[in-house]
Amino acid sequence: MVFSSISFLFVFLPAVLLLYYAVPQRFLGARNGILLAASLLFYFYGEQLMVLALLFSVAINYTCSLLIERFRGERIIPKITLAVSLLANLGLLGYFKYCDFFIENINSMLNISLPLLKAVMPIGISFYTFQNMSYTVDIYLARTKAQRNLVKFATYVAMFPQLVAGPIVRYTEVERELDNRAITIAGFSYGVRRFVLGLAKKVLVANTMAELGSIISYSGESSVLFAWMGAAAFFFQIYFDFSGYSDMAIGLGAMLGFKFPENFNLPYMARSVTDFWRRWHMTLSRWFRDYIYIPLGGNRVSKPKWFFNIAVVWLLTGFWHGASWNFIAWGLYFAALLALEKLVLLKVLGKIPRVFGHIFAMAAVFFGFVIFNADTLSEVGRNFAAMSGMGGRAFWGVESRYYLSSYAGLFAIAAVASTPLVAAIGGKLRRNMVITRVLDIAEPVAIMALLLLTVGFLVDGSFNPFLYFRF
Amino acid sequence: MRDKIKNIAVIAVFLLVVFGLPVANLVLPDADVSVNERRMLRQVPNPQLSDFLDKRVYQEYEEYFLDQFVGRDAFRTIKAIAAYGLLRVRDNNGVYVVGRGLYKTEYPLDERAILRAADKFSVVSAKYLAGLNLYYSIIPDKNYFVAEQNGYPSLDYARLVELMTDNMPGMVYIDIFGDLAIEDYYLTDLHWRQEAILHVAEKILASMGSGYSALHNYTPNEMAPFYGAYYGQAALPARPETLVYLTSATTKAATVYVYEATGRREIQVYNPDLFSGIDPYNLFLAGPQMVVEIENHACDTGRELYMFRDSFGSSLAPLLLDNYSKITLIDLRYIDYNYLDMFITFTPGADAIFIYGTQILNNSGMLQ
Repeated sequence: MVFSSISFLFVFLPAVLLLYYAVPQRFLGARNGILLAASLLFYFYGEQLMVLALLFSVAINYTCSLLIERFRGERIIPKITLAVSLLANLGLLGYFKYCDFFIENINSMLNISLPLLKAVMPIGISFYTFQNMSYTVDIYLARTKAQRNLVKFATYVAMFPQLVAGPIVRYTEVERELDNRAITIAGFSYGVRRFVLGLAKKVLVANTMAELGSIISYSGESSVLFAWMGAAAFFFQIYFDFSGYSDMAIGLGAMLGFKFPENFNLPYMARSVTDFWRRWHMTLSRWFRDYIYIPLGGNRVSKPKWFFNIAVVWLLTGFWHGASWNFIAWGLYFAALLALEKLVLLKVLGKIPRVFGHIFAMAAVFFGFVIFNADTLSEVGRNFAAMSGMGGRAFWGVESRYYLSSYAGLFAIAAVASTPLVAAIGGKLRRNMVITRVLDIAEPVAIMALLLLTVGFLVDGSFNPFLYFRF
Repeated sequence: MRDKIKNIAVIAVFLLVVFGLPVANLVLPDADVSVNERRMLRQVPNPQLSDFLDKRVYQEYEEYFLDQFVGRDAFRTIKAIAAYGLLRVRDNNGVYVVGRGLYKTEYPLDERAILRAADKFSVVSAKYLAGLNLYYSIIPDKNYFVAEQNGYPSLDYARLVELMTDNMPGMVYIDIFGDLAIEDYYLTDLHWRQEAILHVAEKILASMGSGYSALHNYTPNEMAPFYGAYYGQAALPARPETLVYLTSATTKAATVYVYEATGRREIQVYNPDLFSGIDPYNLFLAGPQMVVEIENHACDTGRELYMFRDSFGSSLAPLLLDNYSKITLIDLRYIDYNYLDMFITFTPGADAIFIYGTQILNNSGMLQ
């Protein structure tokens, strides 16, 4: 089930809110139970029996964390238990996500034909596996105490707002809220605003950009302009799709009394690639930093080792996004850029006007998403060739000119909405008391209008799954 | 305090929408048909318990929720207005607006489809139409008149005609492109107006060697409100039109049969009761039919016409009727040409015309 569907908005969500708030706040255990049952139903609706993989993951990590705590102080058992837990998590991920990739490459290298597993990857497996691993590692490192209540632990792992596409929530971030969460009018209202904003980002911008991308893919025209438009459409689609999803997840969390970590902070305002990765998919970057990069020594090592660490982290980051060479290339592309920045570029960017840093960062990210959006490395090559006009391509054609004129407004809206401009204008306007009052009245009306507008887009049939579900 | 009121208002409007719409959905009965979209709507799935392990059941539920959503047409209109007004896209679901008219983009020219159509017509004529007088004509779609000059992608109509003429040997081409204007079509529909194509009928008759004139004293009959096919697809507010059909003593006296799998059934040339159905244009010769026979008892020439046609032909055929004792309409979208002799015995010396719209030719995969 996706958030931007009629079934979620008008069947699942009202039913969950009704049941959840029908239980008095003092019966938090019952509320957790409702939340867990709803989350499993949410997952079952989309993935059916794959819910068993989720439950297996919950069971393994719950048991291992208790064992680690039970035998804390001993030398061997906690280590073995942690290893078992990590192997189980990575095994699950490996089986569903990576096995066929390795088999295909072994077949190709050795010219043999091992049969593919053709396992269907459960959505969100990368997200909940990473959450689970962070939890067990945190228990092993005694950063927090193991959760003894299975319902609470399963609720943490399976909570539907963040189950299938993040943000990757650490246990320590919601530990207190699992035991005691205060739900306020202000908190619920904030959740509504974040949710509706995210829904609008997804449905109005990301889906419409996806439609353009689809038109370009299926068009017979192979002009330079179309290739650039396709890349630009994906550049905005992925941001509004994923950040919209994160907004919805954070909003739903707030409606249920949880405070989830932010996942995006205006990434297209970044002034370097380093800056971009502090603003984009922040919970994943943080995960790799805390559980891979720092344990490898981070930057407190020799320069060659430092760059090796960066390469490892970005190789894994790319591979996390998908079992395909283009994702590995994408990760290494950023590893190279980040190493280059750390060596010289950041110093240079710091001395020149900020706008150049911004242009550099956005160009790097833009071309990075061309690599990301392909299915194979050869497709990456074809896309770059199309953008550079190789092969005697026409600069433009009838369709590209038409669709440029048709989607120019959307590109402009997306570009402006990627900046803090609207918020800044709102902030300035709010200095005036009269305007503040008008805005206060206008806000609920705008929320309703946005909600109804997104429903209009959904009902008209523009239905797109979230991009990050596949990771 | 002000913040608190604002927060309550935000929550209230959210809950009103999230709870109000499903309650309205529960209270209101499901519809069978969407008149605007001209299609049957998905009904509530009825799965067995074991089906719940099958992904398709959930997809069926998604389709059901979308189809039966309360105020579906109003929401589609909201979307269309926002797409045009807010996002500034130039078409909605492929439908665009020029003046008061609605148009559906048809692009690009699929040369293989055109060749497939020409080949199909040639095969049909070789198999059944030996010894008949063979003609063909092409009906331009509305884009021909407005797309290019308004910056919308437009078919290469000259190339389309060239492909057809190069690949339809032994048939006489009747060019009607120059005889039509955008005013001859409905604003909200793809079809031409019957009352506006008398001169086209006249030209076709003259080209097929008829001495009769199509410009008889017809009685116009008005049906309103008429909302065309593009009205529903565009989902934009549009003024209704009036559909006019022309009757004469000949059309009233004619005997009409449609052939179906179970046998033949008698209908009328015009069937006003179908005006209120899914497609009001079905008023003409009962809409989509594989084979229709019109017998004109007032004509004793014995001349026969076989018209291979699409829905445009349904409104054209009555205007040709005075000149023929019998007109047989064949729609190759609904019958495989290999089975034609199960229903029709082609008479040598008769006239035969292939007359299709450019949209059908450019999507000729639908011809059987």
